[in-house]
Amino acid sequence: MSDRSLLEIDNVQTSFRVGDSYYAAVDGVSLNVERNEVLAIVGESGSGKSALAFSIMGLHNSHKTKIEGSIRLNGKDVNHLSTSELNKVRGKDMGMIFQEPLTALNPLKTIKDQITEALDLHTNFSAKQQNERALHLLNEVGIPRADKVMNQYPHELSGGMRQRVVIAIAISCDPSLLIADEPTTALDATIQSQILDLLNELKEEKDSGIILITHDLGVVAEMADRVAVMYAGQVVELADVMSLFKQPKHPYTRSLLSSVPSTQDEKDMLHVIQGVVPSLPKMPRTGCRFKARIPWMADDTHEENPELREVADGHYVRCTCYKHFYFPEEEAEKDVAAHRE
Amino acid sequence: MEQSQQAETMADPQDMDAGKSPPGWRILLTEVLRDKVALFSLLLVVSIMMIVYLVPLFLSQEEIVRVDLFAIHEPPSSEFWLGTDYGGRDVFGQLIIGTRNSLTVGIGVTAVSGMIGIILGVVAGYFGNTVDNIIMRIVDFFFVLPTLLIVIVFIVIVPQYTVWSFIFIMSMFLWMGIARIIRSKALRERELDYIKASRTLGSSHLKIIFTQLMPNLSSIIIVTMTLNLAANIGIESGLSFLGFGFPEETPSLGTLISYATNPTTLEERWWIWVPASILILVLMLSINNVGQALRRAADAKQRRG
Repeated sequence: MSDRSLLEIDNVQTSFRVGDSYYAAVDGVSLNVERNEVLAIVGESGSGKSALAFSIMGLHNSHKTKIEGSIRLNGKDVNHLSTSELNKVRGKDMGMIFQEPLTALNPLKTIKDQITEALDLHTNFSAKQQNERALHLLNEVGIPRADKVMNQYPHELSGGMRQRVVIAIAISCDPSLLIADEPTTALDATIQSQILDLLNELKEEKDSGIILITHDLGVVAEMADRVAVMYAGQVVELADVMSLFKQPKHPYTRSLLSSVPSTQDEKDMLHVIQGVVPSLPKMPRTGCRFKARIPWMADDTHEENPELREVADGHYVRCTCYKHFYFPEEEAEKDVAAHRE
Repeated sequence: MEQSQQAETMADPQDMDAGKSPPGWRILLTEVLRDKVALFSLLLVVSIMMIVYLVPLFLSQEEIVRVDLFAIHEPPSSEFWLGTDYGGRDVFGQLIIGTRNSLTVGIGVTAVSGMIGIILGVVAGYFGNTVDNIIMRIVDFFFVLPTLLIVIVFIVIVPQYTVWSFIFIMSMFLWMGIARIIRSKALRERELDYIKASRTLGSSHLKIIFTQLMPNLSSIIIVTMTLNLAANIGIESGLSFLGFGFPEETPSLGTLISYATNPTTLEERWWIWVPASILILVLMLSINNVGQALRRAADAKQRRG
């Protein structure tokens, strides 16, 4: 691995206890993030994106979860640290931005108190220095009248401002890794792009890596350097953002992309992927997990034990079913066209 | 909650200028001040407390409980404002000191049982799982015990029987309800992102409990404790009435009322038991009123203002 490498996730399996048995919500995921890089993780609800992020941050309830594999941040395995050791890393080397900025802030504490929480833990700043740093951070994330906002409570701020505060808290100790769990889902479109710009600026400035978890492909196109598409706990396709959007391979990626409403084609109907992500206990553990949702594809197009293979430079795809994949609508259209001729 | 708070800030330009919103305690205060009944009740409770805690500084308990055979069952007069009981003891003096003792027990029991309940409830709710299971099974165990009977037995067998041992014994059997309420609120609160966000910053569990969780439980704690206070004063009086409370040398509201078990006293010597009964009624109603106002303040859905 190069020295730019920041986070290496190797064969991570996160299992939740349901009843008496464990079911893997994240199943053998290997990813790496470099400095000054945005890795986007895309997928439907229930595909294991957040479960993976929580595994990295060590936020899972240890009684109901089993995390196997290695998660190395700056060469240090954070998966097997004790809580107190992990507390030294969290906040300092990695920070997290939550989806819902209102619930991510304590309603009873002023913005200043919430920003200085991490400074209190990880630095030897005096109260005055903490104050200055908090003010500096608020300015950095683009909050106007920062000195006033410092003494306000979360409910007095707008959604965009709150999310900026959440970001300010996450970056307060200059972490090298930022995990943004759907940072713009709760915000409206204009604020979304401002927040994304802000994240981009921070990444450049601090030379940090960002894991961006989202199901918004527009956000991915704008922000990401590389994209990992997750389905049912596995990475089904991993590629840099250009090749993923230009030459999507895996049926799931192609389905996702064709589900995005577009102004260019004149189709009346929006493409819908059949079915839903199977629930944890019902998830098939062998074969291609996406098989049930593309029933028109013949069984022999799938691999028996699908693996992630490099099909082009830096472009990985799981299972062989992508080779012959087609949408039934397209096929029907072709048939109609052939008939006319 | 946020909306109504925001509306309040909007409505009050001074607040806007100051850039400050009403903090939690001020919402509590406004709610109590707006509710005239609750305000009156609060003033009443506070003034009763001031009287019963300040006056005994100038009265001696021994003086009041000393038997005076020449002044048995005297009706109210200028010397004995509320007459005397069967031992010739001044009822007014007993009323003051009795209220003080009853209040001390009520406050003491609320404080001690509250401490136990809050600590166990927060720990059970925050950590969940095994810890929660163990603590809640202990709670269940205490709940099935016949509390009153055990308290009575304890009172009979404890040799050095004082206000403090009474508080301790009562508290041992009255913390479970508080623990349950606090735990259920803590269970819900710990799932919120701000607790997780605090963990992503590297805060320890203890720090999160004290600086993040507890402040957000404060309103429910205040409400529960206030309502419990009224109930605990009632329990003490009930036990004393049954004869398992304090001995006669330590007057309480319950002992005064228990004189009414004598039919002649009940019919002809109203001055012994009526004032104590009215006082206990007023105290419990007032504290309950304040508690209700606090509960409304803590729950935006019930809030009036």
